[in-house]
Amino acid sequence: MYAQAFFVAVFGLAAIGFGVVVFRTSSMVRSALALLFSQTAVGCMFLAMQTEFLGVLQIMMMATEMSIMAIFMVMFMMDPGGMGGMDMTHQKRFSIGAGVVAAGVAIVVAFWADWGPVTAEAPDAAMQTRALGMELLGRSMLIFETAGITILTAMIAATAVAIPVQTTANIADKEDTE
Amino acid sequence: MTLVLIVALVTGAILFGIGVYGALSQTNLVMIMMGVELILAGALVNLVAFWRFLHPESYSGQMFVLVVMTVMAVEMAVGFGVAIARFRAKGSVEMEEAGDLKG
Amino acid sequence: MNFVIVLLALLGSVWLLAVVEGWTTTGRLRPAAPLLSGLAHLGRESIVPRTPDRVFFETAPVLLLIVAVLGAAVLPLAPTLVIADLATGALFINAALAYVLVALIMAGWGPNGAYAMIGGWRFLGQLIAYAMLIVMPITAVAMRAESLVTTVIVGSQDGLWNIVYQPLGFVLFFIAAMALAFRAPFDLPTAPGELGGGVDAEYTGVRLGVLRLARLTLVITLASATTVFYLGGWHGPLLPPWAWSLIKTLAVAVSMLLAGRYLPRIREADLMRWCWTLGIPLALLNIIVVGLLVLVVP
Repeated sequence: MYAQAFFVAVFGLAAIGFGVVVFRTSSMVRSALALLFSQTAVGCMFLAMQTEFLGVLQIMMMATEMSIMAIFMVMFMMDPGGMGGMDMTHQKRFSIGAGVVAAGVAIVVAFWADWGPVTAEAPDAAMQTRALGMELLGRSMLIFETAGITILTAMIAATAVAIPVQTTANIADKEDTE
Repeated sequence: MTLVLIVALVTGAILFGIGVYGALSQTNLVMIMMGVELILAGALVNLVAFWRFLHPESYSGQMFVLVVMTVMAVEMAVGFGVAIARFRAKGSVEMEEAGDLKG
Repeated sequence: MNFVIVLLALLGSVWLLAVVEGWTTTGRLRPAAPLLSGLAHLGRESIVPRTPDRVFFETAPVLLLIVAVLGAAVLPLAPTLVIADLATGALFINAALAYVLVALIMAGWGPNGAYAMIGGWRFLGQLIAYAMLIVMPITAVAMRAESLVTTVIVGSQDGLWNIVYQPLGFVLFFIAAMALAFRAPFDLPTAPGELGGGVDAEYTGVRLGVLRLARLTLVITLASATTVFYLGGWHGPLLPPWAWSLIKTLAVAVSMLLAGRYLPRIREADLMRWCWTLGIPLALLNIIVVGLLVLVVP
């Protein structure tokens, strides 16, 4: 039990550390990759809590997602290298206050609530994967199908929003510059 | 055993707090989305801790984790699509300059 | 003990692959060449670009090597010869291989150079497309084996190898594995004639040695994954199981090398269009066909 607590604490501190680096550094790619490693640490926390499938899934998905975020930062931010030293924040005191209040309330609830009997044993990893599959395609089939349709809709929506629209204004612009 | 549960819950709470700070204090859309990702990561840590230590026999907890991961991916996809459209129309994705979307 | 044996087998395979690569490139078979070249890298001057992102510059080659070794850790050489027989082995390989992308982004952004950066971002598009194309054939393989454990996947190919059962999946996996290892004809990130070396360009000395070792190890890991998933792993008539694994892995790795020598490099627009419009529908078709076969054939 103490080994598990130790590993969860270590990965938790890594996740929090990388999370702080995300907003402290001024280099945008470092920020995105720090978020990536923070999510990887969260995935390792899942592995330490013996949910092997979810941990591996988190590690895999977040690597690709955060790399996509990295390239979007390079595309859209004014100072991707971070060498300009710009301060890109607003309402700083309000947001620090909101963050501290949110974390504080959650920590107070974690300590004060009576969580009831805590189970010591977890199911075996292979059994968990099998049971999760059965749950996914059995009892929660509706949720699974809805998630699939939602992903499809999001793909179509994102592609449709991102396609450049050929309006008469755009065509006129292009003709002017040529 | 309650020790590990408390450690995990505190970590989730702190990640949530950092995410809230990020989502509220940043001016750029991409940075705000990074804050939201941290908020969702904190929620995921709490969900897995609750599944593992309180109800390991019922897999609805793991189902919920899969749904939250799906939501993270979907929200990122649509958010970046909107960011591309905004960038093409305006030249920047800064929230300070987005007042013209109002009304 | 398993750990040491598998690592030595990995090192031996990397050495053999380097010798074969030298043989196909120069025409001369020199067994001592990889060792001498590695020592030469250690001795050469290690030039650091003017204003690099130091954290990324140093981490990228090491991360690539760690990823390749982690991927090889879940692949079995013989029924009990595997470093970590994880319950989600097949998914873990994909998770490890996603970090090849992180390593190349670091190698691209770190040196603060234009060609390296272009190579790194090119690989982003390439890997997102071809990682999908790797995971879908793995799904079909796991459907037949009814498990994600790699030893069970090899065990399920006892009578009939997966290359015969799911040929479409094998072709897609092979192509996607070459694209993931950024091996020619998919070597856009390094593009020797076009980007002046791309992500490899700014690395010299020790770091270049580690980077080249990591690239070869990645090819061996992917070849080993192809063997485990499609070629029946250790099954074979006369030789001991680990010998069959090694022979098959080296055969796949050498065929990847030869495919690279005789095919031209594919442009990134064509590369991604083929994957998204042709590859993904074929992979989905593969899953449907395998599902029908698994349900219908006893």
